[in-house]
Amino acid sequence: MTQDKRGHSKLDLTRRRVLKIGAAAAVLAPTYWKQASAQEKRILIRDPGGPYAPGFKEAFYEPFTKATGIEAVGLQGQHEPTSLIKGMVDTKTYTWDMALLSKAASHQLVTEGQGYLEKLNVKTKYLDSTPAEYKTDYFAGNNVFATIFAYRTDAFEGKGIAPPKTWADLFDLKKFPGRRCLRKHPFDTIEQALLADGVPLDKLYPLDFDRAYKKLNAVKKDIAVWWTGGAQTSQLLKTGEVDICATWNARAQAAIDDGAKVKIVWDQHLWTPEGWNILKGTPKADMCREFIKFAVDPARQAVYTKHLGYGPTHPDAYKTIPAERAKVLPTAPEYQKSRTEIDYEFWAKVKDKEVERFNAWILG
Amino acid sequence: MTGASGVPAEPMRPVLGELPHRPRPAWRRTWAMVPIALFLVALFLYPVAQLLWLSIFDKSGGLTGDHYQRLFLSPVYLQVLRITLEVAGWTTALCILGGYPIAYLLATASRRTRDSLILWVLLPFWTSFLVRTFAWIVLLGRNGALNSALQTIGLTEEPTAFLYNMTGVMVGMVHALMPIAVLTMLSVMENIDRNLVPAAATMGARGGEAFWRIYFPLSLPGVAAAGLLVFITAIGFFITPALLGAPQQTMIAQIIIQQVMEMLNYPFAGAIAMLLLVTAIAVFYLYDRALGMSTLAGEATTGQLGGGTRGLVGRVFAGIGTLLTAALGRVTDGIAILWEALAGGRVDRPPRASGRVPLRVAVVLLLIFLAGPSFIIVPVSFTTEGFIEWPPKGISLKWYWAMINDQQWTKAIFRSLIVGFFTACLAMALGGPAAFFLARRRFAGKTAALAFILSPLILPRIVIAVALFYFYARLGLVDTELGLVLGHTVLALPYVVITVMAVLKNYDQRLDQAAASLGASPPRVLWYITVPVIKSGLIAAFLFAFVTSFDELTIALFMSSGISTTLPKQMWDDAIMKVSPLLAAVSTVLLFFVTLVILTAEYFQRRAGAKR
Repeated sequence: MTQDKRGHSKLDLTRRRVLKIGAAAAVLAPTYWKQASAQEKRILIRDPGGPYAPGFKEAFYEPFTKATGIEAVGLQGQHEPTSLIKGMVDTKTYTWDMALLSKAASHQLVTEGQGYLEKLNVKTKYLDSTPAEYKTDYFAGNNVFATIFAYRTDAFEGKGIAPPKTWADLFDLKKFPGRRCLRKHPFDTIEQALLADGVPLDKLYPLDFDRAYKKLNAVKKDIAVWWTGGAQTSQLLKTGEVDICATWNARAQAAIDDGAKVKIVWDQHLWTPEGWNILKGTPKADMCREFIKFAVDPARQAVYTKHLGYGPTHPDAYKTIPAERAKVLPTAPEYQKSRTEIDYEFWAKVKDKEVERFNAWILG
Repeated sequence: MTGASGVPAEPMRPVLGELPHRPRPAWRRTWAMVPIALFLVALFLYPVAQLLWLSIFDKSGGLTGDHYQRLFLSPVYLQVLRITLEVAGWTTALCILGGYPIAYLLATASRRTRDSLILWVLLPFWTSFLVRTFAWIVLLGRNGALNSALQTIGLTEEPTAFLYNMTGVMVGMVHALMPIAVLTMLSVMENIDRNLVPAAATMGARGGEAFWRIYFPLSLPGVAAAGLLVFITAIGFFITPALLGAPQQTMIAQIIIQQVMEMLNYPFAGAIAMLLLVTAIAVFYLYDRALGMSTLAGEATTGQLGGGTRGLVGRVFAGIGTLLTAALGRVTDGIAILWEALAGGRVDRPPRASGRVPLRVAVVLLLIFLAGPSFIIVPVSFTTEGFIEWPPKGISLKWYWAMINDQQWTKAIFRSLIVGFFTACLAMALGGPAAFFLARRRFAGKTAALAFILSPLILPRIVIAVALFYFYARLGLVDTELGLVLGHTVLALPYVVITVMAVLKNYDQRLDQAAASLGASPPRVLWYITVPVIKSGLIAAFLFAFVTSFDELTIALFMSSGISTTLPKQMWDDAIMKVSPLLAAVSTVLLFFVTLVILTAEYFQRRAGAKR
């Protein structure tokens, strides 16, 4: 309300004018915002947060901005954000221009619908020399992560109890007491139950769901916490809220790096690569390609391992990683013996159905 | 308005020939209602209807029952509904049980005691919801503050599991909703004549009898209303069960979010939203059948929101409206007290001595429960460690530096302030005129009009958020500040309208008439008489709208996923992705900010008192 000394008519006029301006602004604003975002020299990159954020900032975002003048902004996004990306591409609202995704998520986005990712078309010697299992036409590998379990040493070694060494031990509550923590998702958890039940690593896929649920039923009531986000597991291990926790190696490593008495068990681990993807139709696709060329350099990959305990996809990265740090990374040679790759193509076929089944199971 | 709520509201005066004017065309008489109506139709009614439409019709426009078939054939969704009702039911019961003594003490205490105590009820109200949830994680963890204390004094040997189970969810939810219960019950209790209990005593009733036979029955409408409000709010919760509960406490809003964020299945999300909506309406219906909303509305305040025969929905909304009016009137008073204290000068009633020790002890414990968690986060923020942990180790400001140096955080704070400010401006511009109109005119369909304006408050927020997200995606409004302002305004409007109406209810309209009779034109009357008199109420409404936006997460969760996060969204992301003490540092800064405002107010209040 404006101060008005002449009375009714002016107030009325003001009101009308305000409404008009408001209406005009409401109509024009979306166009303005869209244009502004297309012109800027800025790319928005989804990363999974946690230890990724400082790692990527130091290894990629800051040096890239310095080198090219293109601002690279890392944005935290939820795990496996395939639906969000589909929404962005369908409506052409690019909240992210590119994303670090698991090979499974990338595969899903390429094969579903009309396809939701741009072809990379990036030609650089480092991408050429990256091992084939870490790249596709749409996906440039950056890091490998391992699904492992970790335990609090003070709950076992401190008490003179032998610590757990296998998935079977994690599922054995009599011999290995302590609070357990599993992932609230069929991914990983089904594989872990089968490994615990004696399925050998090379016979894991196709997954026998009935057998897995039978194994899970036996321990269901004894699982103290079902986690939903990786960061949660770092917190749970650090604070000693749980004693044994199935998680991803860098999330356990983050707790260890912060001084927690935690050990990782590498035997029978599952691995999968994560890499760079460009969202289909983003006006910034070429800037994203610049970024990928920049990021696949093994010397730069080596930098993020300071903060993030995942393994670089380019073998040459180990030339500049200190030996002590190399020991905690999944692509280090000593962890190559007892492991298997997650079969994302298998999961892609059963995901929707199995997620619903898992949700029903966990409530019951 | 000088917080005159202890005094029964003035009865509606006959309108002494509402300022002489020419008969005006209909649109000029109702112009005040037009913008708000258009706004709500476009940004609330249409998007929600569209979402529900999606669940019934397939892509080619044919009717489909697929989504509802899945909803009812799979055991998951009905079970989640049962859990949701169960959790909401227990939350309601505990909020009433704990809130009643607080409200009783506040209603019967001296003015001075009440004013300082109500700040402790309001403090958690002003502290970010997420922060409080995190405080509970620190407090209740296996190695958290409470377990350490219990083991130190030897009450327990092993840590007790307070978290990741029903206990955790209850603590979090009761803590979040008890202030609403207290304020709602208080609004009814304050209208109970204070002389009734002494009167009963003169007839020989002991304290207990006087309370249970006289006071308690009179306060029941407040209890019922508080129960309804808490229950309806609780069924839309998702943060607390996600962070403090186990899978067995999965609530329906979590499933809706999963369908949208993980599966991008809008039609099915719409079907679940419909289930939630029907549940909410069913609760209103049962409530009305069991307790009678209309008598409630009549008793609580004045029943001015319409009379005669009304439909069920009309009565329901009238009841809710009247009670919300009263409850928000209370909050308004709280804010008005602050404002007047800052501006200086107010009259106190003489304090009343009373020796109700057990009640006071209980209330102090409850207030510690309410306000305590806000403070636990402070020591945690100074840790040198990388995680939120109890007890915090070392002392450093590194997380504060991290906050200042992280553009995401500084931008998020800035954006939240901007969005909150514009939301408050827009809500006042749309809601202010409508509130004047609703408070001062009598017209057919008034109840329906008020019901429409209040409905964003009654519909679970998650439904509005999903509907707006779907609607915005087509307009390119996702991830824009404009989109956030518009969405937040939908949520803030009911608060603004109710608060301004509550202020106007106590406004003596003869002041306006006197001014008009001396020749002032309507705008001059408004500007020189009405606005100055109700200033603190208008400021309260503005602040209400601001806080609604500033602490809003549900819409922001969908609408600010990328570069344009608001502060609550940024905190949520950090809570999910990182869980670093940075979160505690940000919370401490916010807490400090709120406490500073309150303490400044108290300081000025005392100084103003000393001068007199």
